[in-house]
Amino acid sequence: MKFQSQKVAIPYFVGALALFLGQIVFGLIAGLQYLNGSFLFPELPFDIAHMSHTNLLIVWLLMAYMGAAYFIVPEEAQTELYSPRLALVTFWIFLTAGALTILSYLFVPYAHLAAITGNAALPTMGRGYLEQPLPIKVGIVLVALSLLFNVTMTLIKGRKTSINLILVGSLWGLALLFLPAFYFPQDTVKASFGWWWIVHGWVEGDWELILGALLGFILIKMTGVDREIVEKWLYIIVAMTLISGIIGIGHHYYYTGAPAYWIWLGTIFSAFEPIPFILLIAFSFKMLLARRREHPNKAAMLWALGTPLMAFLGAGLWGFMITLAPAQYYMHGTNFTAAHGHLAFFGAYAMVALAIISYAMPLLRGRIANSAAAQRWEMTGFWIMVLSMIGIALALTGAGLVTVLLQRAADDPMSFMQVQDKARVFFWLREFAGLAFFIGLLVYLRSFFIAGEYGYAGEMKQALAA
Amino acid sequence: MKLPQAIPLKPCTVSWFALLGLTTITYELSARAPGQALMALVLGVMLVKAHLIVSDFMGLRHTRLLWRIVMAAYLAVVGGIIAFTCLTA
Amino acid sequence: MATEISVDYPQALPGDFAIWIFIFAELVVFAALFAAYAFARSAHLEMFDAAQATLDRAYGYANTLVLVTSSYFVARATQSIKAGRATRCGHWLAGALGLGGVFLALKLAEFQQDLAHGISLSTNLFYMFYLSLTFFHFMHVVMGMAILAVVAYKAYAGRYGAADHAGVETGASYWHMVDLVWIILFTLVYVVH
Ligand code: HEM
Ligand code: HEM
Ligand SMILES: [Fe+2]
Repeated sequence: MKFQSQKVAIPYFVGALALFLGQIVFGLIAGLQYLNGSFLFPELPFDIAHMSHTNLLIVWLLMAYMGAAYFIVPEEAQTELYSPRLALVTFWIFLTAGALTILSYLFVPYAHLAAITGNAALPTMGRGYLEQPLPIKVGIVLVALSLLFNVTMTLIKGRKTSINLILVGSLWGLALLFLPAFYFPQDTVKASFGWWWIVHGWVEGDWELILGALLGFILIKMTGVDREIVEKWLYIIVAMTLISGIIGIGHHYYYTGAPAYWIWLGTIFSAFEPIPFILLIAFSFKMLLARRREHPNKAAMLWALGTPLMAFLGAGLWGFMITLAPAQYYMHGTNFTAAHGHLAFFGAYAMVALAIISYAMPLLRGRIANSAAAQRWEMTGFWIMVLSMIGIALALTGAGLVTVLLQRAADDPMSFMQVQDKARVFFWLREFAGLAFFIGLLVYLRSFFIAGEYGYAGEMKQALAA
Repeated sequence: MKLPQAIPLKPCTVSWFALLGLTTITYELSARAPGQALMALVLGVMLVKAHLIVSDFMGLRHTRLLWRIVMAAYLAVVGGIIAFTCLTA
Repeated sequence: MATEISVDYPQALPGDFAIWIFIFAELVVFAALFAAYAFARSAHLEMFDAAQATLDRAYGYANTLVLVTSSYFVARATQSIKAGRATRCGHWLAGALGLGGVFLALKLAEFQQDLAHGISLSTNLFYMFYLSLTFFHFMHVVMGMAILAVVAYKAYAGRYGAADHAGVETGASYWHMVDLVWIILFTLVYVVH
């Protein structure tokens, strides 16, 4: 850390981790409700648990990326943040709005919430991930504008590196792509267009650029490899992301009432979407091999290398499995999709957030790296979370397979509830894996409470003795 | 001593003329009645043109065998798929 | 003592290796598009041939000549910079850029004509492929021109030299790739019938 103002990242990172914990708790509840439909009913119905889970996911990821931007942009621009105070105020507004949203889900019936927040005047509520009431959506835009103003002004007055340009540019993209949230026409085809511009536009376009920028920053810092090399790779990854991802949106337009040519365009172009993830792997490991120093923050390196691998698994492999039109014909909306969503969201976007937090937090707390003991906790948390997320994905894949075999591709299709019953064992497995994930998260969080910093002398002595 | 390697002037210009000529042939063939011989000719011309670009313009004729094989394999696969779908149509 | 040195010793790929990773990825993408076209065509032979016959092949022919020539100019630009002649390199690149502009203009005129005939992605499978393949390639020409423009600017600014020509080769390699896929595209979409 070189600039005082980078410290505003701390509340963002802490807040993100707290919301992450909340997300997982709601995930566990929703998972239990799969096994016992009346669990916590009527106090907390499944749909509320589900949308609290997914909204918290989005909010904590956004919070982590904002923290990352406040940390990275000044360092790259080599100047103090334009307005640290604005960043802090924005944090509290964002956190309050996020908490209010979840509380209103929990304590106000959704239809009533819609009525009292003006949804009749401008309907926006009800679509997945975008369930927030209108005032909250407006608030999200304002928070984003505040962030964009702050980092853009910082960028303008400082050094313009490629990492900063890609990062700030993709943050602008993130905000612009949110605007279709205010477009919710009656026509379901058009409504789903608008919805996918956001969801697909984010995860298979814009956020991949954020991911690339964050990973690039971490790898430059940790390996000491020349900036030019990293930047060249980033530009290629950006280009491949856009070439495949923009038209690849067609994989959501099959059989929806959209023109039939999307079956071809979506199939062909989305089939290339794994390429940028493969490039990310090649890039990260090339940087690792070309490293000029051994950074003492082993945990951050583990996250940074785990991210592209898990992202490829979740987005590249599980995404590819369901993306071709003939596959979607059978798999659409089954638990194959949920398996892919979990593995991809965790592997790409949660993990890169945890990677930047892992790299930045020790620096923000005034040390180059955490003590070896703290890092051991963190890395144990890494492995438990990664492995149990693979477990969740495999369990959901099993459940998806049951649906495809007994319902979608069956001569004599079973009803939805009959199929759910047949898949019960997989829902149990999902819940167990989810519990393991929760434990992994606690282990990970524990690492923040282990005092002390990395001591070269001590580690050396230990290594020699061993 | 290793000399700085310039792409020799002549082959490059010759290749350019060849490309113009071959393109004209392709255009000429495009109006002919369809047939397998025509198809073979058209694809053959395409592969020759592609080879000229790869070898002389891109300069891959001066690179390691590996890269030349990679490119040749690429063209073979693409040409092969086109030929295959024509034959099985 | 070495008296005879073969000038033809093998070299690494011209330009920056990173651009080659990109080029190979792009080639794979185009190959899949070509394969999809070829298989779709074999499944709907009559319709493809009938629709293809309505294309104005003169456009494709002219554009191939234009693009091949611009590629030649770029090859000459690479030779110039290796000979240390930066301004001449810039001139060749400027010429190539001009031809790229001609290609875009011709292609737009052709699209304009299609549009006037009421042709769209939904007309039939052939036009779906024809329009999306050529538009996808069109965007690559635009991107290639952006790269060439940067290289040309740097060449005129004296940022390259006989010993430092990798930047020119990098841009040139991409442009040749754009030319290469057009050769295949032209043959496949305009000619093979
Ligand atoms: C890190 C990147 C990615 C993330 C976070 C992600 C996440 C998701 C999520 C959450 C959904 C479910 C949306 C819903 O609620 O309906 C989804 C759907 C889908 N994803 Fe991805 N995805 C990513 C990349 C990819 C890639 C690269 C592909 C293709 C190769 C892909 C193919 C699909 C398809 C076809 C669907 C629709 C499934 C259905 O409707 O049944 N995704 N994705
Ligand atoms: C304790 C671990 C977790 C459990 C038990 C869990 C459980 C669930 C459940 C039950 C659903 C609803 C599925 C449905 O609508 O049928 C869900 C949805 C979802 N969860 Fe989780 N989750 C967990 C962790 C995570 C994590 C770590 C992430 C990402 C970082 C995540 C991302 C999502 C997403 C994106 C959806 C929406 C999927 C879709 O609509 O297709 N979950 N989760
Ligand atoms: Fe998508």
